[in-house]
Amino acid sequence: MEIREKENRQVKVKVSHLTKKFGDLLVLNDISFDVEKGDLLCVVGPTGCGKTTFLNSLTKIYDVTSGEILLDGHPADPKKDHIAYIFQGNSTMPWLTVEQNVAFGLDIRHVPKREKQELTDRYLEIVGLTKYRRYYPKQLSASMLQRVSIARAFATEPELLLMDEPYGQLDIELRFKLEDELVRLWEMTGTTVIFITHNIEEAVYLGEHIMVLTNKPTTVKETMRNPLPRPRDIAAPEFVRLRERVTDLIRWW
Amino acid sequence: MMIKFLKKYKYLLISLASVAVVLLVWYLLIDVMKMTKSSVFPGLEKTFRTFIAKLTQKKPDGATLGQHLLESLKVCLLGYSIGAVLGIPLGIAMAWNKWCDWLIRPVFDLIRPVPGLAWTPMFILIFGIGIEAKAMVIFVNSFVACIVNTYTGIRQTDELHLWVGDVFGASSWQKLTKIAIPTALPMIFTGLRTALGGSWMALVAAEMLAASKGLGFMIQQARYISRPDLVIVGMLMIGIVGLVLDIILQKIETMVAKGMNAQ
Amino acid sequence: MNKKQKNITELICAVVSILTFLILWHIGVKGELGRLMPGPLPVIRMFFATLFGGTIGSRTMIIHILYSLIRVMAGYFLGAAVGVVLGLSMGWSRLVEAVFSPLFRIIRPIPPIAWIPISIIWIGLGEDAKIFLIFLASFCYVTLNAWSGAKNVDPDYLRAARMLGAGKRQLLFTIVLPASIPSIFAGLQVALSSCWATVLAAEMVRSSEGLGWIIIAGMNNNDMVQIMTGILAIGLVGMLLSMIFRKVEARLCQWNKSGS
Repeated sequence: MEIREKENRQVKVKVSHLTKKFGDLLVLNDISFDVEKGDLLCVVGPTGCGKTTFLNSLTKIYDVTSGEILLDGHPADPKKDHIAYIFQGNSTMPWLTVEQNVAFGLDIRHVPKREKQELTDRYLEIVGLTKYRRYYPKQLSASMLQRVSIARAFATEPELLLMDEPYGQLDIELRFKLEDELVRLWEMTGTTVIFITHNIEEAVYLGEHIMVLTNKPTTVKETMRNPLPRPRDIAAPEFVRLRERVTDLIRWW
Repeated sequence: MMIKFLKKYKYLLISLASVAVVLLVWYLLIDVMKMTKSSVFPGLEKTFRTFIAKLTQKKPDGATLGQHLLESLKVCLLGYSIGAVLGIPLGIAMAWNKWCDWLIRPVFDLIRPVPGLAWTPMFILIFGIGIEAKAMVIFVNSFVACIVNTYTGIRQTDELHLWVGDVFGASSWQKLTKIAIPTALPMIFTGLRTALGGSWMALVAAEMLAASKGLGFMIQQARYISRPDLVIVGMLMIGIVGLVLDIILQKIETMVAKGMNAQ
Repeated sequence: MNKKQKNITELICAVVSILTFLILWHIGVKGELGRLMPGPLPVIRMFFATLFGGTIGSRTMIIHILYSLIRVMAGYFLGAAVGVVLGLSMGWSRLVEAVFSPLFRIIRPIPPIAWIPISIIWIGLGEDAKIFLIFLASFCYVTLNAWSGAKNVDPDYLRAARMLGAGKRQLLFTIVLPASIPSIFAGLQVALSSCWATVLAAEMVRSSEGLGWIIIAGMNNNDMVQIMTGILAIGLVGMLLSMIFRKVEARLCQWNKSGS
């Protein structure tokens, strides 16, 4: 615990004056914030407020218009930094088996065969898909596919994990299950996670910190610490109070 | 028991009956009632005899059915494979690299609308009536079909998959080999099959115009000497070989591109 | 690069590319190859000279083109009409399918061009025989696609329509036919290019007019300029046909995204 406290003071991601325009449309307006190492930051904002644009700028899928994103003090570059991204919707490769999908990121990074096999096996086991390793994505359900994506992301042991409404399309029961799974993996690996969602309850349940964004052009409305101990109880009064506070912030949209 | 059997196989039986009726009508009209001269429409029995005889006889066109078949296959597969080997990489390059696309596609678009067999007269004048002219016609056919389909296939690559590659830090080459080409594989196979069908057809046309061997030559010769029985044998042979080639490619496709069509 | 710059660059590339091709061709035939191949200039000159004014054989280029086009259209539409009806019926009724599918399966793999000798024996190679060949080319592709289109209609649509009390006839015309249209159009497109190739082959084998005749007569007279002029015309008409087809398809299948 103490080690974690110490690590927490290290800044993993530093975003300063991030601005992004598509043509004349201003999507992100001068966003600045820090994410500490080992944090689990939940970003909430209304649908279409540029949350995805924000993540995509982080990974250089989009070029930013101005501003800077620093990872450990240098500009973020997926070719050097170990970043992983879990997309909204199914992003598995239909031509690869479950096992090959989980190993995809490791393949890209030329991880030696033995190590690759070990990591793949371990994360297949963790998300409970060992039995399905030889299946193709077409043969799996939506939640299993999302678990493949999660395993694929964690298998690369990323320093920074970005998640873009990964559970938006799943039913409640599966969402709870995968949320718990995420918390477990996060506690186990100490990865820094940025988790985007429009679901306030999900944000309060998962986040160490919660960042509320405004409507377009997007800026940061408020960032708050979430002191609730884990495992959290969504029916507990403190939980409800915090959830309502976040909801209040969002009412102003 | 009998009724159950009939019900279960009702449609299969109807299919069999349908073919049987056609053959029977053919047999009755031509073989029994002699409605037309056998130099116009051959009898069923005669056609069948011709087929058996042609397996071993070289008359009247100088080669057995098997020799004609081998000759056709040889030319077809030669031109076809060269076309595929050159066409697929070029299609990939054009779809993946915008400069390749912008510089090569205009010229390619000029050549593309010309059906492969229209090049036959030109190649015959240049190369004579040997194997080269025919192989070139087949080559053009297969080359164009492979480029078109490969190009379309690569262009279908899902942007999301490329992002996944980007986030893991994939190089452009990795994105091509690990994402775009697997995406395009089914389309590449469609191209290979279209190309093979087109090549086979173009070959028959080329052989009818200029050849001294091959199935197209055989049916054209048989026509000159009014042997419709031999023409029909040749046509059926051409059809069957085309079908077999297509089935072989289909089998290879299901083996190679598994996840794309597994259910 | 923004969009406008990109379009301009692309246009410049296209011009550079085609010019390079023509120049290479022009220079290439200066030497040894020139005895076999004409350069681009004589071909283009001949094309325009014969388009309306001069003649190839006894007709102008435009008349040759019209001959080929009319043959194609006659056989194409005939084959398409029969193909759509037969294909849809095969997809709709198991009985029709059982009767016709084995016969269709026997005929389909035989390329239309391979029918040329037998049709000469049967009906000579006059206009009707040529149209018959083109009919076959169009018929096979259209039937196949209409058939698979009708067979692959989403059963949910049928169930939903039945729940709303649609009769058999209504099902066929309001569900099966529209749902098969994309597949039918795909068939029509392949059929069109196949018909275009078939008419050339038929004209090459026997005829006294049309684009196929131009190139084969060029071969017989050792006239490479005429062959290449013919090829140029074939390519232009082929390009025009597929452009028109795409326009029509886009108009008719606006709801279908893959139609673009």
